Amino acid sequence: MNANAAAREHPHDAGGREPPREIGQLGMWVFIASEILFFGGLFVAYVYGRSHWPNGFAQASRHTDVVLGTLNTGVLLTSSAVIALAVACAESPAFRRWTARLLWLTAALGVIFIVIKGMEYRKEWHEHLFPGPGFELDAGGAQLFFMLYFVMTALHALHLAIGIVGVSLFAWATGQAKSWAPPRRIDIMALYWHFVDVVWIFLYPLLYLVERHS
Amino acid sequence: MNEREFKRHAFKLLLAWLALLVLMLSSLGSAYLSLGVGNLIAGVAIATVKSSIVALLFMRLARSSATVRLVAVVGIATWLLLAGLSGVDYATRSRQPAAFQLPRQLPSLAPEQEPR
Repeated sequence: MNANAAAREHPHDAGGREPPREIGQLGMWVFIASEILFFGGLFVAYVYGRSHWPNGFAQASRHTDVVLGTLNTGVLLTSSAVIALAVACAESPAFRRWTARLLWLTAALGVIFIVIKGMEYRKEWHEHLFPGPGFELDAGGAQLFFMLYFVMTALHALHLAIGIVGVSLFAWATGQAKSWAPPRRIDIMALYWHFVDVVWIFLYPLLYLVERHS
Repeated sequence: MNEREFKRHAFKLLLAWLALLVLMLSSLGSAYLSLGVGNLIAGVAIATVKSSIVALLFMRLARSSATVRLVAVVGIATWLLLAGLSGVDYATRSRQPAAFQLPRQLPSLAPEQEPR
C-alpha cells in the first residue's frame, strides 16, 4: 500500500501530516455544546425564579451595579473582537507579528474584567447582598436572585480565568515561535474565549437590567 | 489569507465590534423605558442578536463546515428541549409555601434504658 492509499484509509493518521483543521474546531464545539447545557441549567433556574418571584428579582436586580456591569460588558465584547483579529493576523503572513501582542491584549482585557468583577463583589458584600443571615433585602425571591447572581457570575469568572491562562500561554508561545501554537490552535482557543463572552452577553440583561425604570 | 483579504476581514471585525457596543447601549437604554414584559423581550432579543454576531462572524460559524454547524445547533436545540420539558413541570405546578418552622430536637423514639 503506498502512502496516498494509507492516507485515504486513515485520514487522521497520515504519516505525521497536519490533521484537517476541522477536527480541532469540531472538538471545541462539542465541548461548547456541553457547556451550553452546563450554564443552561442555571438559566432555567433563573427563569423559574423570575417567573415565580418577579418583584423580588426586580428589587434585587436594581441593587446590582449597572455602571460596572455595562463597563465589563464593553470590556468583554472588545476582548472578543481583539482575539478575532489576533486569529486573522495569525493566518495572514504579512500581519503575523501582531498575533502575540493582540493575544496579550485579550488576556489583559480578561484580567481587567475580573478586577472590575471583584470590585463589584466587594461592594455587594459590604451592602449585605450576599445570601445568608443579615441579608439586606426583604422581598421574597431577592435572596434567590443574589444566590443565582453569585453562582452564575463566579462560574463565568472561573471560565474566564481559565481562558486568560490559555490565551496567555498562546501569546507567550506565539512570541517564542513555538511549534505547538500554530494558527489553527489559536483559532480553537479563540472559540472558547468567544463562548465565555456569549455567556456574559446573556447574563448582562438578565442580572443587571431587570425593571431598571421603576 | 492575503493582505487584501485580511484588510477586508479586519474591517468587518471593526464594524461588528461597533455594532456590539451600540447593541449593548441600546439594551441598557431599553431597560430604562417602562415596557412591561417588553423589557425582558428587548433584553433577550438584543442579547440573541449580539450572540449571533459573535457566533457567525467571530466564531466563523457562517463559514464553518456542516458538521461543526450541526454540533452548534444540536447543543442549542438540546438545551431548548430540556428547558422546555422542565418548564412543563414548573409552570403547571402550583406553589404552596409552607410556614417557616424553627428546627428543633424531637424526643428519641428508642426505648429508654433502665438505670442499673
